[in-house]
Parts: sequence; structure tokens; C-alpha cells
Amino acid sequence: MVRPLSSMRHSRLGRHGTFYLTILPFLVLFGAFGLFPVLASLYLGFTDWDGLSAPRFVGIQNYVDLVRDPVFRISIANTLMLWACSTAATVGIAFVLAFLVNYYVPGGRSVLQVVFLAPLLVAPAMTAIITQAMFSSNGGVVNDLLGAALRHPVTFDWTRSAWALKALIVWMVVWRWTGWHMVIFVAGFQTIPLQTYEAAIVDGARPSQIFRLVTLPLMRPIVMFSLITATVGGLQLFDEVYVLTGGTGGAQHAGMTMAIYLYQAAFQDFRFGLGSAAAYVIFALIMVASLLLSRSTNPQGAPA
Amino acid sequence: MINVSRRGRVVATAIVIVAGLICLFPLYWMVVIATHTNQEFYRVPPPVLPGSGALENLHQLTANVDILHALWNSVYVALAHSVLVLFFCSLAGYGFSRFRSAPGHRGLYAFTLATIMIPPAAGLIPWFVEMKWLGWLNSYWPMIVPDAANAFGIFWMKQYIDRSIPHDLYEAARIDGASDLWTYWRVVVPLIRPGLGALGIWTFLATWNLFLVPLLVLNDKGLFTLPLALTGLQSLYGTNIPATMLGTAIGVAPLLIAFCLFSRQFIAGLTGGAVKE
Repeated sequence: MVRPLSSMRHSRLGRHGTFYLTILPFLVLFGAFGLFPVLASLYLGFTDWDGLSAPRFVGIQNYVDLVRDPVFRISIANTLMLWACSTAATVGIAFVLAFLVNYYVPGGRSVLQVVFLAPLLVAPAMTAIITQAMFSSNGGVVNDLLGAALRHPVTFDWTRSAWALKALIVWMVVWRWTGWHMVIFVAGFQTIPLQTYEAAIVDGARPSQIFRLVTLPLMRPIVMFSLITATVGGLQLFDEVYVLTGGTGGAQHAGMTMAIYLYQAAFQDFRFGLGSAAAYVIFALIMVASLLLSRSTNPQGAPA
Repeated sequence: MINVSRRGRVVATAIVIVAGLICLFPLYWMVVIATHTNQEFYRVPPPVLPGSGALENLHQLTANVDILHALWNSVYVALAHSVLVLFFCSLAGYGFSRFRSAPGHRGLYAFTLATIMIPPAAGLIPWFVEMKWLGWLNSYWPMIVPDAANAFGIFWMKQYIDRSIPHDLYEAARIDGASDLWTYWRVVVPLIRPGLGALGIWTFLATWNLFLVPLLVLNDKGLFTLPLALTGLQSLYGTNIPATMLGTAIGVAPLLIAFCLFSRQFIAGLTGGAVKE
């Protein structure tokens, strides 16, 4: 099927036209449902709006209210603490496990990957339901095991204690995500060619030196990817915490994360302006944290 | 590092196995409890192996939550969303992969990637208001349409198409007079099926597990997807844990089965995006 010359010239222009057509759905959908809401949120952060009557411009009053609100300050502290603990635990454990699986464990890799990825399949909301049942004060398996070990019935209410609730939240995140990071790290380890290690051994390097000077630097970009992904997710933690605390944020706000605060402000108290301001605080925190992370894992200072 | 001692291997394998058991234990326990009745749950010593109380739990469960309906809802929403995502993302990925000389290509691609960094929480409230204005509240539209052309999927598809389709193929198609869209549909799509499979299965999973959006948007209990329907159980019954566990088991089972069947695609989708080859 040979086309005449004139229409071939036309199809060269048409080719570029097709490009814009292929990305049009993304531009339209993102513009309408991604970009506009984020910009509108910025504006709303400076208004007082209940979602029904007209928004009322109030300047930085919302931000002032946030700073003055002890619950919001608690939510920032909680979010940061939960993020730090769960990210360190998840990425650290995943790295160790991936290292062992890649270099030490003789086989069964595909089975292991299925096993470790299984928690990821469970909806976070359902993970919270299962965790609640497991740690239930009466009949939960954890209290049963503790009671058997201590030879004395244990009816500790994990969700009522501030530190225990936080521990449960960290547990849920670690249980869920460690396998994901592990699979990524294993793939990363596999990209390090054996010749590199052999060359290092020939040069007389000891195992600890090889680890520090060969393995770690080569894994740096992947570890950074993991840390940033865990951060973006961790600072917005909502589903598990909401379900575990029944939407309340826990006794004495022990489980109040910034996302829950946002949800309550906007969709329970109908203060859309305040909620939008909180959303921007979360946004800013995520940006700052991601920037700091990408700087810190790249000591040369050049952007990765 | 390469030649590890036998003792090292044994210790490492033991650690990994213990970690794996910890991963699986909550799911195993869920199945054990789901198959025991409420009285058996509080028995001392507690049950350790699966029992035969599942049917009774099912009665209790369905009396309070229309679980089969919720299951169907989840399947429907996840399928619809995944199909749309596959179409839009592969189309855009094709565009970005093939037409590198189009004006603005680089800037547009960089812009697309940059949008991955925007956290969903940032625009949540206006997004919700938009759903209200569109009349999409209490429907499935918010879960199917807005996210359908998402930047991560586009990135993934572009990478995959870059790797799988040599530019000569486009040249050959062009010389044969094929239009660009025809090339997409008849040449590219059949060749990227594994990539579509991986993206499709991850999108299905993510949509199935959605909680916040359905929570915000759905009011009708008959429309609830599984995770949302199951949390309704908690407040109704703080006292029948086995029936609740049966509910979560039903919620998890389809995905676990899909995962065992398509584990290769799952893992390909995971490692393909993070590690540059």
C-alpha cells in the first residue's frame, strides 16, 4: 500500500499531531483532577469555607490556628515519629533480608518473593482489622502467647495505650512494606556484576571493605528510591490508622497523624479552609523530607 | 561475599525463613480464626489449626454485611479502572516513546514525571468538591476516571515500550502506510502484553485496596467496596471476631489467588520500574 508523496508530507505533520493526541488524556485528566485541586487547595488554605456557603478570605488565620492547635502539633510529632521508625525499620530490615537472600540463601527465590510480597496484597484497611483482632485484649493471639509465656493471663489493651498503639502502627507498616523494598533491593543487588566483586577480592579487599566501598555505593540510588517512596507514603499515613482507631485518632490522640487531622478537619468538622492549610503543611513536609533525603544519600552534593 | 561459608548460608536461610513466617503468620491466624466459631475463639487454649466453623461465621457475616455484593463491586471497579489505565497509559507511553522529535517532547515528559511527586493529600479537598460538582458522589466515577492516566503508569509503559519495540518497526509500519494510531493498536499493543499484564495487575490490586476515596465518596451501603464494607463490621460488632476474620479472608483471597497465578507479572511490574536496566 504505497501512499502518494503529498500525503506522506502530511503524515509527518500528522505524526506530531498524534503525539499530542496520545498524551491528551493525561493532560486533561491531570489538569482537571491533579493540578487544579492542588492549586485550589493553596487558595482555600487562606479562606474559611464550610463547603456550602461562599468561601471567606481570612489570610493566614488558618495557618495560625494550626500552629496554635495542640492536636495539630501532636499530629505532626506523631507523623514524624511514625514515619522515622517505620521507614528505618522497613528499609533496614528489607536491606538485610535482600542481602541475605541474594548472597547467602541458596534457592527458592521465587517462593520467597511470593511470601514476602503477600502482605502487600492485603488492603491497609483490612490489615488494620486483622491487627486489631490479633492484638485484641481478650482472645487475641498476641495476648494469648504472652500469657502462655508469662504463665499469667494477659489482657493488655494494646489500642488504649499510647506507646502500644504507635507500636502497632509501625508494625502494620513494616509488615506491609518490607517485602516490597526487599524485592527491589534484591533486583538491585543482582545488577552488581560479579566481576566487580572479583576484582575487589583480587585487589585484596576484605569483605567489610567490599561491602562499604563496592556494594553500598552501588546500591545508593535504589536505597534512596526506597527511602523517598517510604517517606511520601509514610507522611500521608491514613488507612491503617483510621481503621485501627475507628476514625478517632486513638486515645489521647496517640494515633493522630496529619492525614487523619486533615480528614477530621475537612470531612467531620467541615472546615475546608483549615483542612487545605493542613494539606499544604503535609505537602511542604514531604517536599522538604524528600529533598533532604536525596541530598543526604548523595554526599558529593550533585543531584542524583 | 561470593564464596560464603556453609554455616553462613544456614544461618542466613534460617533468618530469612523466620522472617517469612512472621510475614505469613497474620494471614494464617486470620484463616484459623475465620474457621472457628465465636465460642471456640475464647476457648483456652486457643485454636491453632483451621477448624470447621466457617459456615456459621458466614451466616453471621452475611447477616450484617452484604459481602458478596461488596466483593462484586470491588471486582467491577478494579477491572474498569485497570482497563482504562492500561489504555491511557500505554497510549501516552507509546507517544512518548515513539515521537521523540516532536516539539516540547522533553519538557512534557519531564513535567509528567514531576507530577509523580505530588502527594494525593495536597489536593484532596478541592478534588472532593469537584466530585460533588460533577455529580459523581456516591458513584464509581471518582475511582475510575480521575486517576486513569497516571504519571507512574505512563512512565512504566514508556520504559517498557522503549525496551521492547525497536524504532525500525515504526519505520516499517510507516512505509507500509499505517497510521500512527493503527500502529499503536495493531503493532505495539500485541507486543507489550507482558508489560500490560504487569501494570494491569498492580493497578487492579491498588484499586481493590482503595479505602480513603470510597470512604469519602460512597454513601450507599450497596455500593461499598470490600475494604469499606468490612470496616462497617467493626462498629457493628466488636464481639464477633471470627466472623470479621472470615470477612477479611474473603477480601484477601481473590488477590492472593491472582497473585499466585500471576506472580511473575507482579514482580516484573515491581522491579521494572525501580531498577534501570
